[in-house]
Amino acid sequence: MSQGTDAKEGVTLVYHRFSAFHRFSHYLVMVSFFGLVFTGFPLKFRDSYWSQIIIDLLGGVAAAGFVHRVMAVVNIVYFVLEVGYMSYYVVARKGPIFHDDSIVPNKKDWADMKGMFRWFLGLGAKPRLSRFTYWEKFDFWALFAGTFLIGGSGLMMWFPEATTRILPGVALNVALVLHSNEAFLATGVIFIFVHFFSAHGRPESFPADEVIFSGYLPVEHYIHERPHEYENRLKAGTLHQVVRPAPTAKRRRIFRWITAAMTTFGFLAASYTLLLILWPLFF
Amino acid sequence: MAAGARKSASGLAKEFTFSKWRALRVLSISVFLALVAASPAAAQDVTAPDPGEFSARCLTCHAQEYLGSVASEEGDKSLYIDPTVYEESAHGILPCNSCHAGFTHDPHQMVTNAEFFAETAGEACKNCHDDQFEMYKQSYHGELSRDATADGVSAPLCVDCHGAHDIARVETLEYRQSIADLCGRCHGGRESTFLDTYHGKSLTLGREASATCVDCHGDHSILPVSNPLSKLSKANILPTCQECHPDATEGFTTFLVHIKPTSMKAPIVVFLVAMGYLALIVVVFAFGGIHSILYAYRGLKDGLYSRKGGH
Repeated sequence: MSQGTDAKEGVTLVYHRFSAFHRFSHYLVMVSFFGLVFTGFPLKFRDSYWSQIIIDLLGGVAAAGFVHRVMAVVNIVYFVLEVGYMSYYVVARKGPIFHDDSIVPNKKDWADMKGMFRWFLGLGAKPRLSRFTYWEKFDFWALFAGTFLIGGSGLMMWFPEATTRILPGVALNVALVLHSNEAFLATGVIFIFVHFFSAHGRPESFPADEVIFSGYLPVEHYIHERPHEYENRLKAGTLHQVVRPAPTAKRRRIFRWITAAMTTFGFLAASYTLLLILWPLFF
Repeated sequence: MAAGARKSASGLAKEFTFSKWRALRVLSISVFLALVAASPAAAQDVTAPDPGEFSARCLTCHAQEYLGSVASEEGDKSLYIDPTVYEESAHGILPCNSCHAGFTHDPHQMVTNAEFFAETAGEACKNCHDDQFEMYKQSYHGELSRDATADGVSAPLCVDCHGAHDIARVETLEYRQSIADLCGRCHGGRESTFLDTYHGKSLTLGREASATCVDCHGDHSILPVSNPLSKLSKANILPTCQECHPDATEGFTTFLVHIKPTSMKAPIVVFLVAMGYLALIVVVFAFGGIHSILYAYRGLKDGLYSRKGGH
Protein backbone atom coordinates (compact mmCIF):
# COMPACT_ATOMS: atom_id res chain seq x y z
CA MET A 1 0.00 0.00 0.00
CA SER A 2 1.47 3.31 -1.00
CA GLN A 3 1.92 5.97 1.64
CA GLY A 4 1.46 9.72 1.24
CA THR A 5 4.85 11.36 0.81
CA ASP A 6 5.84 14.88 1.56
CA ALA A 7 8.25 15.50 -1.33
CA LYS A 8 10.37 18.07 0.50
CA GLU A 9 10.87 16.22 3.80
CA GLY A 10 10.74 12.68 2.46
CA VAL A 11 8.38 11.74 5.34
CA THR A 12 5.50 9.34 4.66
CA LEU A 13 2.17 10.71 5.94
CA VAL A 14 -1.15 9.12 6.81
CA TYR A 15 -4.58 10.50 7.55
CA HIS A 16 -5.62 9.83 11.13
CA ARG A 17 -9.32 8.99 11.02
CA PHE A 18 -10.13 7.09 14.24
CA SER A 19 -8.75 7.69 17.72
CA ALA A 20 -7.87 4.88 20.13
CA PHE A 21 -11.23 5.47 21.82
CA HIS A 22 -13.14 4.94 18.57
CA ARG A 23 -11.20 1.80 17.79
CA PHE A 24 -11.66 0.43 21.30
CA SER A 25 -15.40 1.13 21.14
CA HIS A 26 -15.59 -0.73 17.85
CA TYR A 27 -13.96 -3.80 19.41
CA LEU A 28 -16.50 -3.68 22.25
CA VAL A 29 -19.34 -3.45 19.74
CA MET A 30 -17.93 -6.25 17.59
CA VAL A 31 -17.45 -8.73 20.40
CA SER A 32 -20.64 -7.98 22.30
CA PHE A 33 -22.80 -7.75 19.19
CA PHE A 34 -21.72 -11.14 17.97
CA GLY A 35 -21.87 -12.60 21.46
CA LEU A 36 -25.49 -11.44 21.71
CA VAL A 37 -26.41 -12.77 18.28
CA PHE A 38 -24.66 -16.06 18.98
CA THR A 39 -26.55 -16.66 22.21
CA GLY A 40 -29.83 -14.95 21.31
CA PHE A 41 -30.63 -16.19 17.82
CA PRO A 42 -31.00 -19.83 18.86
CA LEU A 43 -33.96 -18.70 20.96
CA LYS A 44 -35.43 -16.56 18.20
CA PHE A 45 -35.03 -19.39 15.70
CA ARG A 46 -35.72 -22.19 18.14
CA ASP A 47 -36.79 -24.62 15.41
CA SER A 48 -33.57 -24.30 13.45
CA TYR A 49 -31.50 -27.47 13.49
CA TRP A 50 -28.46 -25.47 14.60
CA SER A 51 -30.15 -23.80 17.56
CA GLN A 52 -30.17 -26.91 19.73
CA ILE A 53 -26.57 -27.67 18.77
CA ILE A 54 -25.37 -24.18 19.69
CA ILE A 55 -27.29 -24.19 22.96
CA ASP A 56 -25.93 -27.63 23.88
CA LEU A 57 -22.43 -26.46 22.93
CA LEU A 58 -22.78 -23.54 25.34
CA GLY A 59 -24.00 -25.86 28.08
CA GLY A 60 -27.75 -25.20 27.99
CA VAL A 61 -30.19 -22.31 27.89
CA ALA A 62 -29.14 -21.02 31.31
CA ALA A 63 -25.46 -20.85 30.29
CA ALA A 64 -26.35 -19.16 26.99
CA GLY A 65 -28.50 -16.72 28.96
CA PHE A 66 -25.58 -15.94 31.24
CA VAL A 67 -23.27 -15.17 28.30
CA HIS A 68 -26.08 -13.08 26.75
CA ARG A 69 -26.37 -10.99 29.93
CA VAL A 70 -22.60 -10.52 30.24
CA MET A 71 -22.53 -9.28 26.64
CA ALA A 72 -25.51 -7.06 27.38
CA VAL A 73 -23.51 -5.42 30.15
CA VAL A 74 -20.68 -4.77 27.64
CA ASN A 75 -23.34 -3.23 25.41
CA ILE A 76 -24.45 -0.91 28.20
CA VAL A 77 -20.82 -0.01 28.91
CA TYR A 78 -20.09 1.10 25.34
CA PHE A 79 -23.40 2.93 25.12
CA VAL A 80 -22.56 4.91 28.25
CA LEU A 81 -19.01 5.51 26.96
CA GLU A 82 -20.41 6.79 23.66
CA VAL A 83 -22.85 9.15 25.38
CA GLY A 84 -19.96 10.32 27.56
CA TYR A 85 -17.81 10.90 24.49
CA MET A 86 -20.60 12.86 22.80
CA SER A 87 -20.99 15.06 25.87
CA TYR A 88 -17.24 15.59 25.98
CA TYR A 89 -17.20 16.41 22.25
CA VAL A 90 -20.02 18.95 22.55
CA VAL A 91 -19.34 20.48 25.97
CA ALA A 92 -15.60 20.28 26.60
CA ARG A 93 -14.14 20.20 23.10
CA LYS A 94 -16.87 22.45 21.65
CA GLY A 95 -16.71 20.36 18.49
CA PRO A 96 -18.89 21.45 15.58
CA ILE A 97 -22.29 19.73 15.57
CA PHE A 98 -23.96 21.03 12.42
CA HIS A 99 -20.94 20.82 10.19
CA ASP A 100 -20.30 18.94 6.94
CA ASP A 101 -17.75 16.79 8.74
CA SER A 102 -19.75 15.95 11.84
CA ILE A 103 -21.76 12.73 12.34
CA VAL A 104 -25.07 14.66 12.41
CA PRO A 105 -27.13 14.14 9.23
CA ASN A 106 -27.51 17.22 7.02
CA LYS A 107 -28.76 18.36 3.61
CA LYS A 108 -25.55 17.31 1.91
CA ASP A 109 -26.31 13.67 2.82
CA TRP A 110 -29.54 13.79 0.85
CA ALA A 111 -27.74 15.34 -2.12
CA ASP A 112 -24.90 12.81 -1.82
CA MET A 113 -27.37 9.92 -1.79
CA LYS A 114 -29.07 11.13 -4.95
CA GLY A 115 -25.64 11.73 -6.45
CA MET A 116 -24.47 8.22 -5.61
CA PHE A 117 -27.52 6.66 -7.28
CA ARG A 118 -26.85 8.78 -10.37
CA TRP A 119 -23.25 7.57 -10.32
CA PHE A 120 -24.35 3.94 -9.85
CA LEU A 121 -26.49 4.25 -12.97
CA GLY A 122 -23.81 6.02 -14.99
CA LEU A 123 -25.69 9.35 -15.00
CA GLY A 124 -23.08 11.50 -13.30
CA ALA A 125 -19.77 11.74 -11.47
CA LYS A 126 -19.28 10.31 -8.00
CA PRO A 127 -20.26 12.90 -5.35
CA ARG A 128 -17.46 14.40 -3.30
CA LEU A 129 -18.00 12.78 0.11
CA SER A 130 -17.29 14.14 3.58
CA ARG A 131 -15.74 12.72 6.72
CA PHE A 132 -18.86 10.60 7.28
CA THR A 133 -20.99 9.45 4.35
CA TYR A 134 -24.74 9.10 4.63
CA TRP A 135 -24.48 5.29 4.92
CA GLU A 136 -21.90 5.64 7.68
CA LYS A 137 -24.18 8.05 9.53
CA PHE A 138 -27.03 5.55 9.10
CA ASP A 139 -24.81 2.77 10.45
CA PHE A 140 -23.85 4.82 13.49
CA TRP A 141 -27.26 6.20 14.41
CA ALA A 142 -29.05 2.92 13.70
CA LEU A 143 -26.70 1.16 16.09
CA PHE A 144 -26.96 3.96 18.64
CA ALA A 145 -30.76 3.97 18.65
CA GLY A 146 -30.88 0.19 18.31
CA THR A 147 -28.61 -0.32 21.33
CA PHE A 148 -30.90 1.88 23.39
CA LEU A 149 -34.07 0.07 22.28
CA ILE A 150 -32.72 -3.45 22.47
CA GLY A 151 -30.90 -2.75 25.71
CA GLY A 152 -33.98 -1.19 27.28
CA SER A 153 -36.29 -4.01 26.23
CA GLY A 154 -33.66 -6.56 27.26
CA LEU A 155 -33.41 -5.07 30.74
CA MET A 156 -37.20 -5.17 31.03
CA MET A 157 -37.18 -8.89 30.33
CA TRP A 158 -34.13 -9.46 32.52
CA PHE A 159 -36.06 -7.96 35.47
CA PRO A 160 -39.71 -8.69 34.67
CA GLU A 161 -40.91 -8.41 38.27
CA ALA A 162 -39.38 -4.95 38.72
CA THR A 163 -40.67 -3.82 35.31
CA THR A 164 -44.26 -4.79 36.10
CA ARG A 165 -44.16 -2.94 39.39
CA ILE A 166 -44.10 0.23 37.28
CA LEU A 167 -45.62 -0.81 33.96
CA PRO A 168 -48.51 -3.11 33.02
CA GLY A 169 -47.74 -6.66 31.90
CA VAL A 170 -48.30 -5.77 28.26
CA ALA A 171 -45.02 -3.81 28.47
CA LEU A 172 -43.27 -7.19 28.55
CA ASN A 173 -45.19 -8.25 25.44
CA VAL A 174 -43.97 -5.08 23.71
CA ALA A 175 -40.43 -5.66 24.99
CA LEU A 176 -40.33 -9.19 23.58
CA VAL A 177 -41.60 -8.14 20.14
CA LEU A 178 -39.29 -5.14 20.04
CA HIS A 179 -36.20 -7.02 21.22
CA SER A 180 -36.66 -9.84 18.76
CA ASN A 181 -37.40 -7.60 15.75
CA GLU A 182 -34.70 -5.06 16.55
CA ALA A 183 -32.20 -7.92 16.83
CA PHE A 184 -33.20 -9.20 13.42
CA LEU A 185 -33.06 -5.72 11.89
CA ALA A 186 -29.67 -4.88 13.40
CA THR A 187 -28.17 -8.21 12.42
CA GLY A 188 -29.37 -7.84 8.85
CA VAL A 189 -28.04 -4.28 8.66
CA ILE A 190 -24.63 -5.15 10.10
CA PHE A 191 -23.92 -8.59 8.70
CA ILE A 192 -25.61 -8.48 5.33
CA PHE A 193 -27.31 -5.44 3.91
CA VAL A 194 -25.35 -2.38 5.00
CA HIS A 195 -22.33 -2.45 7.29
CA PHE A 196 -20.17 -5.29 6.00
CA PHE A 197 -20.62 -4.26 2.40
CA SER A 198 -20.06 -0.56 2.98
CA ALA A 199 -17.03 -1.20 5.18
CA HIS A 200 -15.29 -3.99 3.29
CA GLY A 201 -17.22 -4.79 0.11
CA ARG A 202 -17.10 -1.38 -1.61
CA PRO A 203 -14.63 -1.13 -4.48
CA GLU A 204 -12.70 1.53 -2.51
CA SER A 205 -12.00 -0.80 0.41
CA PHE A 206 -12.42 -4.37 -0.89
CA PRO A 207 -11.50 -6.91 0.46
CA ALA A 208 -10.95 -5.30 3.87
CA ASP A 209 -10.76 -1.80 5.24
CA GLU A 210 -8.04 -1.48 7.85
CA VAL A 211 -9.02 1.97 9.06
CA ILE A 212 -11.24 0.93 12.00
CA PHE A 213 -8.45 -1.30 13.34
CA SER A 214 -5.39 0.84 12.58
CA GLY A 215 -7.05 4.25 12.81
CA TYR A 216 -5.31 5.67 9.74
CA LEU A 217 -5.37 5.44 5.95
CA PRO A 218 -2.90 6.59 3.30
CA VAL A 219 -3.28 10.26 2.44
CA GLU A 220 -3.93 9.58 -1.28
CA HIS A 221 -6.68 7.17 -0.30
CA TYR A 222 -8.12 9.84 2.00
CA ILE A 223 -8.11 12.54 -0.67
CA HIS A 224 -9.76 10.18 -3.10
CA GLU A 225 -12.36 8.88 -0.64
CA ARG A 226 -13.18 12.00 1.42
CA PRO A 227 -12.48 14.88 -1.00
CA HIS A 228 -15.00 17.19 0.66
CA GLU A 229 -13.43 16.89 4.11
CA TYR A 230 -9.97 17.29 2.56
CA GLU A 231 -10.94 20.50 0.79
CA ASN A 232 -12.67 21.87 3.90
CA ARG A 233 -9.57 21.24 5.98
CA LEU A 234 -7.32 22.67 3.29
CA LYS A 235 -9.40 25.85 3.25
CA ALA A 236 -9.65 26.08 7.05
CA GLY A 237 -5.99 25.22 7.49
CA THR A 238 -6.78 22.28 9.83
CA LEU A 239 -5.20 19.53 7.76
CA HIS A 240 -2.27 19.28 10.18
CA GLN A 241 -4.69 18.08 12.88
CA VAL A 242 -5.38 14.86 11.05
CA VAL A 243 -2.21 14.16 9.09
CA ARG A 244 0.58 12.34 10.82
CA PRO A 245 3.77 10.47 9.99
CA ALA A 246 3.05 6.88 9.02
CA PRO A 247 3.55 4.16 11.63
CA THR A 248 6.58 1.93 11.30
CA ALA A 249 6.53 -0.95 8.83
CA LYS A 250 6.25 -3.38 11.74
CA ARG A 251 3.14 -1.68 13.13
CA ARG A 252 1.61 -1.54 9.68
CA ARG A 253 2.16 -5.28 9.33
CA ILE A 254 0.53 -5.92 12.72
CA PHE A 255 -2.53 -3.87 11.76
CA ARG A 256 -2.81 -5.83 8.52
CA TRP A 257 -2.83 -9.11 10.46
CA ILE A 258 -5.40 -7.75 12.93
CA THR A 259 -7.60 -6.63 10.04
CA ALA A 260 -7.33 -10.05 8.39
CA ALA A 261 -8.25 -11.77 11.65
CA MET A 262 -11.15 -9.42 12.39
CA THR A 263 -12.67 -9.58 8.92
CA THR A 264 -12.44 -13.37 9.07
CA PHE A 265 -14.23 -13.22 12.43
CA GLY A 266 -16.89 -10.98 10.86
CA PHE A 267 -17.27 -13.30 7.88
CA LEU A 268 -17.72 -16.30 10.18
CA ALA A 269 -20.18 -14.39 12.35
CA ALA A 270 -22.28 -13.49 9.31
CA SER A 271 -22.08 -17.06 8.01
CA TYR A 272 -23.25 -18.42 11.35
CA THR A 273 -26.25 -16.11 11.33
CA LEU A 274 -27.18 -16.97 7.76
CA LEU A 275 -26.76 -20.67 8.47
CA LEU A 276 -29.06 -20.48 11.48
CA ILE A 277 -31.74 -18.48 9.69
CA LEU A 278 -31.65 -20.13 6.27
CA TRP A 279 -31.14 -23.76 7.30
CA PRO A 280 -34.83 -24.41 8.08
CA LEU A 281 -35.77 -23.13 4.62
CA PHE A 282 -33.80 -25.88 2.91
CA PHE A 283 -33.68 -28.81 5.32
CA MET B 1 -50.59 -38.02 56.89
CA ALA B 2 -46.85 -38.44 56.57
CA ALA B 3 -46.13 -35.37 58.68
CA GLY B 4 -48.43 -36.61 61.47
CA ALA B 5 -46.78 -39.98 61.58
CA ARG B 6 -43.35 -38.40 61.68
CA LYS B 7 -44.39 -36.16 64.56
CA SER B 8 -45.57 -39.10 66.64
CA ALA B 9 -42.40 -40.92 65.78
CA SER B 10 -40.29 -38.10 67.13
CA GLY B 11 -42.50 -38.12 70.26
CA LEU B 12 -41.76 -41.78 70.77
CA ALA B 13 -38.11 -41.13 70.30
CA LYS B 14 -38.18 -38.63 73.17
CA GLU B 15 -39.84 -41.14 75.50
CA PHE B 16 -37.25 -43.79 74.92
CA THR B 17 -34.17 -41.66 75.23
CA PHE B 18 -32.51 -44.32 77.37
CA SER B 19 -32.29 -46.48 74.26
CA LYS B 20 -31.45 -44.46 71.19
CA TRP B 21 -31.29 -47.59 69.08
CA ARG B 22 -34.79 -48.49 70.01
CA ALA B 23 -35.86 -44.94 69.29
CA LEU B 24 -34.18 -45.06 65.93
CA ARG B 25 -35.89 -48.33 65.13
CA VAL B 26 -39.31 -46.97 66.04
CA LEU B 27 -38.62 -43.81 64.13
CA SER B 28 -37.56 -45.58 60.99
CA ILE B 29 -40.53 -47.93 61.07
CA SER B 30 -42.90 -45.00 61.59
CA VAL B 31 -41.38 -43.06 58.73
CA PHE B 32 -41.52 -46.13 56.53
CA LEU B 33 -45.18 -46.72 57.38
CA ALA B 34 -45.94 -43.05 56.80
CA LEU B 35 -44.30 -43.12 53.41
CA VAL B 36 -46.08 -46.32 52.48
CA ALA B 37 -49.40 -44.87 53.57
CA ALA B 38 -48.75 -41.66 51.66
CA SER B 39 -47.77 -43.45 48.48
CA PRO B 40 -50.78 -43.66 46.17
CA ALA B 41 -49.25 -46.63 44.43
CA ALA B 42 -49.41 -48.59 47.61
CA ALA B 43 -52.71 -47.20 48.86
CA GLN B 44 -54.61 -49.92 47.07
CA ASP B 45 -53.75 -53.47 47.80
CA VAL B 46 -52.99 -54.49 44.25
CA THR B 47 -52.51 -58.18 44.05
CA ALA B 48 -50.41 -58.09 40.95
CA PRO B 49 -49.67 -61.42 39.42
CA ASP B 50 -46.10 -62.06 38.49
CA PRO B 51 -45.66 -59.63 35.58
CA GLY B 52 -43.25 -61.93 33.87
CA GLU B 53 -45.66 -64.80 33.84
CA PHE B 54 -48.89 -62.97 33.04
CA SER B 55 -47.58 -60.52 30.50
CA ALA B 56 -45.55 -63.13 28.74
CA ARG B 57 -48.77 -64.91 27.86
CA CYS B 58 -50.32 -61.73 26.42
CA LEU B 59 -47.19 -60.97 24.48
CA THR B 60 -47.17 -64.41 22.93
CA CYS B 61 -49.66 -62.94 20.47
CA HIS B 62 -49.43 -59.16 20.98
CA ALA B 63 -45.69 -58.92 20.39
CA GLN B 64 -46.28 -60.19 16.86
CA GLU B 65 -46.46 -57.43 14.31
CA TYR B 66 -48.58 -59.60 11.98
CA LEU B 67 -51.44 -59.37 14.46
CA GLY B 68 -52.71 -56.35 12.53
CA SER B 69 -55.29 -53.92 13.76
CA VAL B 70 -58.96 -53.57 14.57
CA ALA B 71 -61.27 -50.87 13.29
CA SER B 72 -62.59 -48.37 15.79
CA GLU B 73 -64.41 -45.04 15.67
CA GLU B 74 -61.07 -43.26 15.97
CA GLY B 75 -59.54 -45.24 13.13
CA ASP B 76 -57.60 -48.46 13.04
CA LYS B 77 -55.99 -49.44 16.33
CA SER B 78 -52.94 -51.61 16.18
CA LEU B 79 -53.01 -54.72 18.34
CA TYR B 80 -49.24 -54.92 18.30
CA ILE B 81 -47.30 -54.01 21.46
CA ASP B 82 -43.61 -53.31 21.21
CA PRO B 83 -42.24 -55.01 24.36
CA THR B 84 -39.17 -52.74 24.50
CA VAL B 85 -41.26 -49.56 24.36
CA TYR B 86 -43.54 -50.93 27.07
CA GLU B 87 -40.69 -52.01 29.33
CA GLU B 88 -39.08 -48.57 29.07
CA SER B 89 -42.36 -46.82 29.89
CA ALA B 90 -43.21 -45.69 33.42
CA HIS B 91 -45.41 -48.80 33.76
CA GLY B 92 -42.81 -51.18 32.39
CA ILE B 93 -42.89 -53.46 35.42
CA LEU B 94 -46.68 -53.80 35.60
CA PRO B 95 -48.47 -56.79 34.12
CA CYS B 96 -50.97 -56.17 31.33
CA ASN B 97 -54.03 -56.85 33.49
CA SER B 98 -53.21 -54.06 35.93
CA CYS B 99 -54.90 -51.81 33.40
CA HIS B 100 -56.73 -54.32 31.21
CA ALA B 101 -58.77 -55.43 34.20
CA GLY B 102 -61.03 -58.37 33.71
CA PHE B 103 -58.84 -60.11 31.19
CA THR B 104 -57.84 -63.60 32.05
CA HIS B 105 -55.04 -65.88 31.10
CA ASP B 106 -57.25 -67.50 28.55
CA PRO B 107 -57.71 -66.17 25.04
CA HIS B 108 -60.13 -63.30 25.59
CA GLN B 109 -63.27 -61.94 24.11
CA MET B 110 -62.49 -59.28 21.53
CA VAL B 111 -63.49 -55.83 22.81
CA THR B 112 -63.53 -52.62 20.84
CA ASN B 113 -61.36 -49.75 21.86
CA ALA B 114 -64.38 -47.58 22.64
CA GLU B 115 -65.82 -50.24 24.90
CA PHE B 116 -62.55 -50.61 26.72
CA PHE B 117 -62.24 -46.90 27.35
CA ALA B 118 -65.86 -46.42 28.30
CA GLU B 119 -65.80 -49.20 30.85
CA THR B 120 -62.33 -49.35 32.23
CA ALA B 121 -60.02 -46.51 31.21
CA GLY B 122 -60.67 -44.25 34.16
CA GLU B 123 -61.17 -47.09 36.57
CA ALA B 124 -57.98 -48.83 35.53
CA CYS B 125 -55.89 -45.74 36.32
CA LYS B 126 -57.89 -45.04 39.46
CA ASN B 127 -56.79 -48.30 41.03
CA CYS B 128 -53.35 -46.85 41.65
CA HIS B 129 -53.76 -43.10 41.03
CA ASP B 130 -56.84 -42.41 43.09
CA ASP B 131 -55.91 -38.83 44.09
CA GLN B 132 -55.20 -37.77 40.54
CA PHE B 133 -58.36 -39.45 39.36
CA GLU B 134 -60.46 -37.58 41.93
CA MET B 135 -58.91 -34.27 40.84
CA TYR B 136 -59.51 -35.17 37.21
CA LYS B 137 -63.16 -35.98 37.89
CA GLN B 138 -63.70 -32.49 39.31
CA SER B 139 -61.78 -30.79 36.50
CA TYR B 140 -63.22 -29.43 33.27
CA HIS B 141 -61.74 -32.39 31.41
CA GLY B 142 -63.48 -34.74 33.83
CA GLU B 143 -66.74 -32.88 33.37
CA LEU B 144 -66.41 -33.30 29.61
CA SER B 145 -65.78 -37.01 30.02
CA ARG B 146 -69.21 -37.39 31.60
CA ASP B 147 -70.72 -35.43 28.74
CA ALA B 148 -68.62 -36.83 25.95
CA THR B 149 -71.28 -36.66 23.28
CA ALA B 150 -72.02 -32.95 23.67
CA ASP B 151 -71.15 -31.06 20.48
CA GLY B 152 -69.23 -34.10 19.37
CA VAL B 153 -66.51 -33.15 21.84
CA SER B 154 -64.37 -36.07 22.78
CA ALA B 155 -63.16 -35.57 26.34
CA PRO B 156 -59.52 -36.21 27.12
CA LEU B 157 -59.06 -39.34 29.21
CA CYS B 158 -55.93 -40.17 31.21
CA VAL B 159 -54.28 -41.88 28.26
CA ASP B 160 -54.76 -38.91 25.93
CA CYS B 161 -52.22 -36.89 27.87
CA HIS B 162 -50.16 -39.66 29.45
CA GLY B 163 -50.06 -42.28 26.72
CA ALA B 164 -50.87 -45.93 27.21
CA HIS B 165 -48.34 -48.62 26.43
CA ASP B 166 -45.69 -45.92 26.07
CA ILE B 167 -46.87 -44.15 29.22
CA ALA B 168 -44.66 -41.16 29.91
CA ARG B 169 -42.41 -40.50 32.86
CA VAL B 170 -43.86 -37.11 33.79
CA GLU B 171 -40.70 -35.78 35.40
CA THR B 172 -38.65 -36.05 32.22
CA LEU B 173 -37.70 -33.09 30.04
CA GLU B 174 -39.03 -34.90 26.98
CA TYR B 175 -42.48 -35.17 28.52
CA ARG B 176 -42.49 -31.55 29.64
CA GLN B 177 -41.45 -30.53 26.14
CA SER B 178 -44.30 -32.55 24.62
CA ILE B 179 -47.03 -31.01 26.81
CA ALA B 180 -47.66 -27.93 24.62
CA ASP B 181 -48.26 -30.13 21.60
CA LEU B 182 -50.44 -32.50 23.62
CA CYS B 183 -52.64 -29.60 24.71
CA GLY B 184 -52.54 -28.17 21.20
CA ARG B 185 -54.25 -31.27 19.81
CA CYS B 186 -57.50 -29.88 21.23
CA HIS B 187 -56.56 -26.29 22.04
CA GLY B 188 -55.17 -25.59 18.59
CA GLY B 189 -53.16 -22.37 18.18
CA ARG B 190 -52.66 -21.85 21.89
CA GLU B 191 -49.50 -23.94 21.86
CA SER B 192 -47.79 -21.87 19.17
CA THR B 193 -48.34 -18.58 20.99
CA PHE B 194 -46.96 -20.19 24.13
CA LEU B 195 -43.94 -21.55 22.27
CA ASP B 196 -43.14 -18.00 21.09
CA THR B 197 -42.73 -16.76 24.67
CA TYR B 198 -39.49 -17.07 26.61
CA HIS B 199 -41.02 -19.96 28.57
CA GLY B 200 -41.78 -21.84 25.37
CA LYS B 201 -38.51 -21.08 23.60
CA SER B 202 -36.30 -21.98 26.53
CA LEU B 203 -38.24 -25.16 27.29
CA THR B 204 -37.96 -26.22 23.66
CA LEU B 205 -34.19 -25.80 23.90
CA GLY B 206 -33.96 -27.82 27.09
CA ARG B 207 -34.48 -25.51 30.07
CA GLU B 208 -36.40 -27.81 32.43
CA ALA B 209 -37.33 -25.07 34.89
CA SER B 210 -39.40 -23.19 32.28
CA ALA B 211 -43.12 -23.19 32.89
CA THR B 212 -45.36 -25.00 30.44
CA CYS B 213 -49.17 -25.18 30.03
CA VAL B 214 -49.91 -27.22 33.15
CA ASP B 215 -47.73 -25.13 35.44
CA CYS B 216 -50.04 -22.14 34.97
CA HIS B 217 -53.35 -23.78 34.04
CA GLY B 218 -53.11 -26.74 36.40
CA ASP B 219 -52.91 -30.39 35.45
CA HIS B 220 -55.40 -32.97 36.76
CA SER B 221 -57.64 -30.34 38.30
CA ILE B 222 -57.57 -28.03 35.27
CA LEU B 223 -60.45 -25.57 34.98
CA PRO B 224 -61.35 -22.78 32.56
CA VAL B 225 -59.78 -19.44 33.45
CA SER B 226 -63.32 -18.09 33.97
CA ASN B 227 -63.87 -20.54 36.85
CA PRO B 228 -63.05 -18.90 40.21
CA LEU B 229 -61.26 -22.09 41.28
CA SER B 230 -58.91 -22.01 38.28
CA LYS B 231 -55.20 -21.44 38.98
CA LEU B 232 -55.51 -18.45 36.65
CA SER B 233 -58.70 -16.90 38.01
CA LYS B 234 -58.47 -13.30 39.23
CA ALA B 235 -58.05 -14.44 42.82
CA ASN B 236 -55.52 -17.20 42.10
CA ILE B 237 -53.32 -15.90 39.30
CA LEU B 238 -50.84 -13.98 41.44
CA PRO B 239 -49.97 -16.92 43.73
CA THR B 240 -49.63 -19.05 40.59
CA CYS B 241 -47.07 -16.65 39.07
CA GLN B 242 -45.36 -16.40 42.46
CA GLU B 243 -44.69 -20.15 42.47
CA CYS B 244 -41.74 -19.32 40.21
CA HIS B 245 -41.55 -15.52 40.48
CA PRO B 246 -41.80 -14.80 44.22
CA ASP B 247 -41.42 -11.05 43.66
CA ALA B 248 -44.28 -10.83 41.17
CA THR B 249 -47.00 -8.24 41.74
CA GLU B 250 -50.43 -7.62 40.17
CA GLY B 251 -48.88 -5.95 37.12
CA PHE B 252 -46.84 -9.07 36.41
CA THR B 253 -49.98 -11.17 36.04
CA THR B 254 -51.23 -9.08 33.13
CA PHE B 255 -48.49 -10.29 30.77
CA LEU B 256 -50.30 -11.90 27.83
CA VAL B 257 -49.00 -15.33 26.90
CA HIS B 258 -51.45 -16.25 24.16
CA ILE B 259 -51.21 -13.38 21.69
CA LYS B 260 -49.92 -13.32 18.14
CA PRO B 261 -48.23 -9.92 17.77
CA THR B 262 -49.01 -9.64 14.04
CA SER B 263 -52.70 -10.37 14.60
CA MET B 264 -55.26 -7.59 14.82
CA LYS B 265 -56.52 -9.27 18.00
CA ALA B 266 -53.27 -8.45 19.83
CA PRO B 267 -53.22 -5.30 21.99
CA ILE B 268 -52.87 -2.32 19.67
CA VAL B 269 -49.47 -1.28 21.01
CA VAL B 270 -48.02 -4.76 20.45
CA PHE B 271 -49.57 -4.93 16.99
CA LEU B 272 -48.18 -1.52 16.02
CA VAL B 273 -44.67 -2.35 17.20
CA ALA B 274 -44.74 -5.66 15.33
CA MET B 275 -46.06 -4.16 12.09
CA GLY B 276 -43.81 -1.10 12.37
CA TYR B 277 -40.76 -3.34 12.61
CA LEU B 278 -41.95 -5.52 9.76
CA ALA B 279 -42.20 -2.44 7.54
CA LEU B 280 -38.87 -1.06 8.77
CA ILE B 281 -37.10 -4.36 8.16
CA VAL B 282 -38.49 -4.67 4.63
CA VAL B 283 -37.61 -1.06 3.73
CA VAL B 284 -34.12 -1.07 5.27
CA PHE B 285 -33.12 -4.46 3.88
CA ALA B 286 -34.48 -3.63 0.44
CA PHE B 287 -32.81 -0.21 0.32
CA GLY B 288 -29.52 -1.49 1.76
CA GLY B 289 -29.53 -4.48 -0.57
CA ILE B 290 -30.22 -2.40 -3.69
CA HIS B 291 -27.66 0.21 -2.66
CA SER B 292 -24.97 -2.45 -2.16
CA ILE B 293 -25.74 -4.27 -5.40
CA LEU B 294 -25.66 -1.04 -7.42
CA TYR B 295 -22.43 0.04 -5.72
CA ALA B 296 -20.80 -3.29 -6.54
CA TYR B 297 -22.16 -3.10 -10.10
CA ARG B 298 -20.61 0.34 -10.64
CA GLY B 299 -17.37 -0.87 -9.10
CA LEU B 300 -17.18 -3.87 -11.40
CA LYS B 301 -18.23 -1.91 -14.47
CA ASP B 302 -15.59 0.77 -13.93
CA GLY B 303 -12.92 -1.76 -12.99
CA LEU B 304 -12.55 -0.19 -9.55
CA TYR B 305 -12.12 -3.55 -7.82
CA SER B 306 -8.97 -4.34 -9.82
CA ARG B 307 -7.31 -1.03 -8.96
CA LYS B 308 -5.26 -2.64 -6.19
CA GLY B 309 -4.14 -0.04 -3.72
CA GLY B 310 -4.61 2.52 -6.40
CA HIS B 311 -5.65 5.17 -3.96
